[in-house]
Amino acid sequence: MSNELINKYSVGDIQFPTKSGLLSMLVKKELILEIIQKIKEDDKLLYDQLIDITVIDNVLSKQNYSNQRYTIIYSFLSLSFNKRLLVYSNISEDDQNIDSITQIFESANWFEREIYDLFGVNFKNHPNLQRIMNDYNFQGHPLRKDFPLTGYEEVRYDENLKKVVYEPVTLKQEFRDFDSESPWEGMKETIKKEIGN
Amino acid sequence: MSENFKPVTLNFGPQHPAAHGVLRLLVQLEGEVVNKAEPHIGLLHRGTEKLIEQKTYTQAIPYFDRLDYVSPMCQEHAFALAVEDLLNIKAPIRAQYIRVMFAEITRILNHLLNIPAFAMDIGAATPMLWAFEEREKMLEFHEAVSGARFHAAYFRPGGVHQDLPENLADKMKTYFTNFPKFIDTLEELLTENRIFKQRSVDIGILSEENAIRLSCSGPVLRASGVAWDLRKSQPYDVYDKLDFDIPVGKTGDTYDRYLVRMEEMRESVKIILQCIDQIPSGPVMIENNKITPPKRSEMKNSMEAIIHHFKLFTEGYRVPKGLTYRCVEAPKGEFGVVLVSDGSSKPYRCKLRAPGFVHLQALNFLSKGHQLADLPSILGSLDIVFGEVDR
Repeated sequence: MSNELINKYSVGDIQFPTKSGLLSMLVKKELILEIIQKIKEDDKLLYDQLIDITVIDNVLSKQNYSNQRYTIIYSFLSLSFNKRLLVYSNISEDDQNIDSITQIFESANWFEREIYDLFGVNFKNHPNLQRIMNDYNFQGHPLRKDFPLTGYEEVRYDENLKKVVYEPVTLKQEFRDFDSESPWEGMKETIKKEIGN
Repeated sequence: MSENFKPVTLNFGPQHPAAHGVLRLLVQLEGEVVNKAEPHIGLLHRGTEKLIEQKTYTQAIPYFDRLDYVSPMCQEHAFALAVEDLLNIKAPIRAQYIRVMFAEITRILNHLLNIPAFAMDIGAATPMLWAFEEREKMLEFHEAVSGARFHAAYFRPGGVHQDLPENLADKMKTYFTNFPKFIDTLEELLTENRIFKQRSVDIGILSEENAIRLSCSGPVLRASGVAWDLRKSQPYDVYDKLDFDIPVGKTGDTYDRYLVRMEEMRESVKIILQCIDQIPSGPVMIENNKITPPKRSEMKNSMEAIIHHFKLFTEGYRVPKGLTYRCVEAPKGEFGVVLVSDGSSKPYRCKLRAPGFVHLQALNFLSKGHQLADLPSILGSLDIVFGEVDR
């Protein structure tokens, strides 16, 4: 397998360690078009199918994320070599733009629209960047970690007005967010520490 | 097309019997010919991914049943595999056989809904009635193991929830030995039916090259002549120990997609019968009470078991920090889960890769230049379920 290309462009790892057995590379955002074109056409790689594009919002992760708010994950499959590859790229909060790969993989269209809708990442040169999952006049980007689970607006059918009306969410009961996680790290850790000391 | 015709834009759905759910299509017509079909989705969007982020790993399982609600167990399978991957555990061998067995029953259930629904769209009403009778019989197997006909929540990280009840294997063996006869009778109704063929042969042709380009997977990809099946090429659980074939189509039209699904049902029966013969005895869940709940009987005598039970159903188990992608060959195609854990007991991010989402995207390409009446035929052959498309 030719890992040369992967080693050449990879600039480290994201903050969530990828499970061993999965081939992955973190690349610079500016080079994304060039690299994806190469892994598609390189005869030793031939990643001819785009499986998925998704984004992680890093804002709540416990480590310092140094302004790299989003990590975009492209997932590719090579039908000829039966290999998978994950391509990561970081997107900062200040510049939420990335090149659209629709000119290389046509099926990226809806995946990118979905990310635009749910995360608010902007794709440059996308043919039809509109909301796809949410309502036509929806405000905000629901999968961002700072978007509340209950949302801001609710809809109902108004019998008097004979139409659907939008209203701010009113909760019958305050939103309950239990933190059931115990500070207790478990037996093994304590024992390890004692032995270590 | 004569010059008197002006293009007409037709709003198809969101409530239409042939839309297979809540699909809104904006169809641009030139006379009877489809110029462009633009799907508008999201009418069934429930924010599953957001909800999963707020739940523990155990509480997340039922959401997977509600994605593609006609093939629930296959999706639980992908999630269970992803969590197991992050936890570095493997289900016991008996549990793996049970999972494969029920994933295949789910596949037959799915195809028994899709094939007659497709046939109904193009004018054949009887297969629906026949297939639903058989589906009901198979759903009894679902009910016997999990207590629920559809939303089973049966596959868990670490194995399956319960062992098979007594005699169920024998009952399944009798049923599935006779099941191919039903496939034969169903085929007598459709495969050589003149009307059925006229409305499906050479409609919505997807060449091998285009199927790969449009990221198709599952029966849609195989009908276009690509011999690709994750059960063979990247086997999970015990699929590598079983003997089965991958049916492949030739032309990639809607008729081929129907034939591939029909043949897949026969292969699934083969797999189920092999599983029943080969299944060893043993535990069906890993016996590590930090991850899986203790037995009821144990909890009557052991304080530790009660503590474990309490902790597992309040806090849940913690999953080591990491990112993984696991996928299964769901009846509709590649269903995958990108699971990200930050070391807590709730998933940090869980992306669901639904095959139907990608296939629906190809609808515009497939329907271009066809008659409006062919649109339901193409849509039916893609096997779209909105639970997974909209998530």
